[in-house]
Amino acid sequence: MSAGYVLVVAEVRRGLFEERNLDTIGLGRELGLPVSLLLPENVNGVDELLLDRVLKVSADEGTFLNPLVMVSILVKVFESQGQPDFVLFTHSSSGAECAAYAAGHFSAPLVTDVSGFDQSTGTFFKSYYSDKVFAQFKSTSSPTFLTVRSGSFRENVTRNQAAPAVESVGDIAPAEGRTFLEYVEEAGGAVDITKAEFLLSVGRGIGSKDEIPRYEELARAMRAVLSCSRPVVDKLWLPKERQVGTSGKTVKPKVYLAMAISGAFQHIAGMKDADCIIAINKDPEAPIFQYAHFGIVADVNKLRDKLIETVKGS
Amino acid sequence: MEIVVFTKRVPVTQEEELRILEDGKAVDLRKLPHRMNDWDNYGVEEAVRMVEKGGGGVTSVAIGDAEADEVLRRAIAMGARDGFLLETEEVLHDPFARATLACNFLKKEKIPFDALFTGVQAEDDQFACFGGMLAAMLKIPYAAQVIGVDSVEKDHLVVRRELEGGLQERVKVSLPCVLSVQSGINEPRYVSIMGVRKASKVERKVFKASNYADNVKSLIEVTKWAYPPKKEGAAMIAGDVNEVCGKLLGILKEKGVYQ
Ligand SMILES: Cc1cc2nc3c(=O)[nH]c(=O)nc-3n(C[C@H](O)[C@H](O)[C@H](O)COP(=O)(O)OP(=O)(O)OC[C@H]3O[C@@H](n4cnc5c(N)ncnc54)[C@H](O)[C@@H]3O)c2cc1C
Ligand SMILES: Nc1ncnc2c1ncn2[C@@H]1O[C@H](COP(=O)(O)O)[C@@H](O)[C@H]1O
Repeated sequence: MSAGYVLVVAEVRRGLFEERNLDTIGLGRELGLPVSLLLPENVNGVDELLLDRVLKVSADEGTFLNPLVMVSILVKVFESQGQPDFVLFTHSSSGAECAAYAAGHFSAPLVTDVSGFDQSTGTFFKSYYSDKVFAQFKSTSSPTFLTVRSGSFRENVTRNQAAPAVESVGDIAPAEGRTFLEYVEEAGGAVDITKAEFLLSVGRGIGSKDEIPRYEELARAMRAVLSCSRPVVDKLWLPKERQVGTSGKTVKPKVYLAMAISGAFQHIAGMKDADCIIAINKDPEAPIFQYAHFGIVADVNKLRDKLIETVKGS
Repeated sequence: MEIVVFTKRVPVTQEEELRILEDGKAVDLRKLPHRMNDWDNYGVEEAVRMVEKGGGGVTSVAIGDAEADEVLRRAIAMGARDGFLLETEEVLHDPFARATLACNFLKKEKIPFDALFTGVQAEDDQFACFGGMLAAMLKIPYAAQVIGVDSVEKDHLVVRRELEGGLQERVKVSLPCVLSVQSGINEPRYVSIMGVRKASKVERKVFKASNYADNVKSLIEVTKWAYPPKKEGAAMIAGDVNEVCGKLLGILKEKGVYQ
């Protein structure tokens, strides 16, 4: 029997409530049930008025966001609060990790990377093929686990007049099978792409590492800074410090010129707030054109050569 | 170590127009080229490197139709010892159904393993959850988005998980376990056509999924396929390469980033 509420599992890093929690809370509001937030103790930046109930776990964040521990926490919450109709996580490294493990444990339905909800059919929109199409999913049992795409639902949050009830879930033991050791910061590099006003950003579609010098040449000629998508870093065409996106840097230049980047949401999340986005792609259906202000359907390497010629000639 | 790596055959869609058929009932994938899921290349490579260093063997497992044999050949060309196809004609959209099937298979066939590897996500459905579900079903630990294996001990691994914005966490995971492997953890080796041809001589085993179908059910169902909700979209700049080049530079000037 479900107890008629939405359980939102908070994501916390270094004592701070992550902004993407607003999207899980926002979807919770759209689902039309009271929203309870589950989080560890000692977290800064939580606006409790957004919630109907707050459940605090006596555990540090490294223990809390551990899939094995999360299962024990959820068992306790379901016992004390009743079974929720929905359990919501952010679609992030730890959110997706915990949701998958918990759904497997409870044999519960899970839809990940949810970016839309259709009230009339009760279906959840999930991206396929890097946003080229979406599937509408219906859940067939309860509780339904969902992971929520950052940026999708935050406009739905509403503030209550009165502060919510705060309850303690109690102590939770660490899990033997997996333990948190420490945070590790990736080494910084020589170039800070977050400071650039004009970014020339290249994606996998440029074809090979051999093309990079020509893009460097173009960037120099146009006084732009070169940045890139993740595969370009994975393939060691450019160093990690140049990567834009959720697992790289978030940038906000005056102009973001994206060449041969498809527009996966992990990339978009890192550059969507640029003042002007110009996308060049040979695929007219590339999702990046949905986010760009200007679009060009062309072969990037050919256009690049012409640009170099024109800029250097003038 | 005995490592089982899950490898999925996926359509390549980056430069293709995807057509939705019959008013949202299906997506037309028939004419698309297919390949091994990119993330799974990293999984196979990591497993092969671990075995090359510490001994043992790598088994590549694919769930899919007969054509999925293609990724097994590729994995073998990369250094896997065995390739197992869990053959099903039915497309299981729900990862829960796929994970249940894999769990039943591993148990029933008593496949030995110290670790199971998956990719972080499949390029086609991007669920990023198959490995986590499978770990929970097998009641073994799980770590997702692994970007480095720092040490391999008898009974545990120390791995680095990628979080967001350049942050990682180091965790200790007991063996046996499931890891989802992130792209960039290594540089997958180059596989030549000759290499794949040679790998075809290594026998792959086919197991009928219907023999492991106990409790395999879908808890979520696709009701409809839809094109992305159209936003305002970009103002498209058309013309030949000279015109486009001129217009683009004009915009850059107007925005004040180019003189
Ligand atoms: C946990 C996680 C974190 C991630 N973090 C990030 C991140 O921080 N940043 C990031 O970028 N990605 C990230 N990704 C990866 C992301 O999902 C995509 O795989 C990636 O962004 C795709 O990069 P791309 O657009 O360069 O390549 P593709 O998706 O392969 O697109 C290449 C594009 O180039 C076009 N093209 C090909 N040839 C040409 C040509 N000659 N001329 C013009 N166009 C051409 C194609 O039409 C296509 O649109 C992450 C993924 C996961 C799972
Ligand atoms: N049909 C399949 N066959 C083999 N491996 C799969 C299959 N589906 C998922 N996987 C594995 O699980 C990972 C994550 O898939 P998903 O959860 O669907 O995004 C993939 O990278 C594969 O390693």
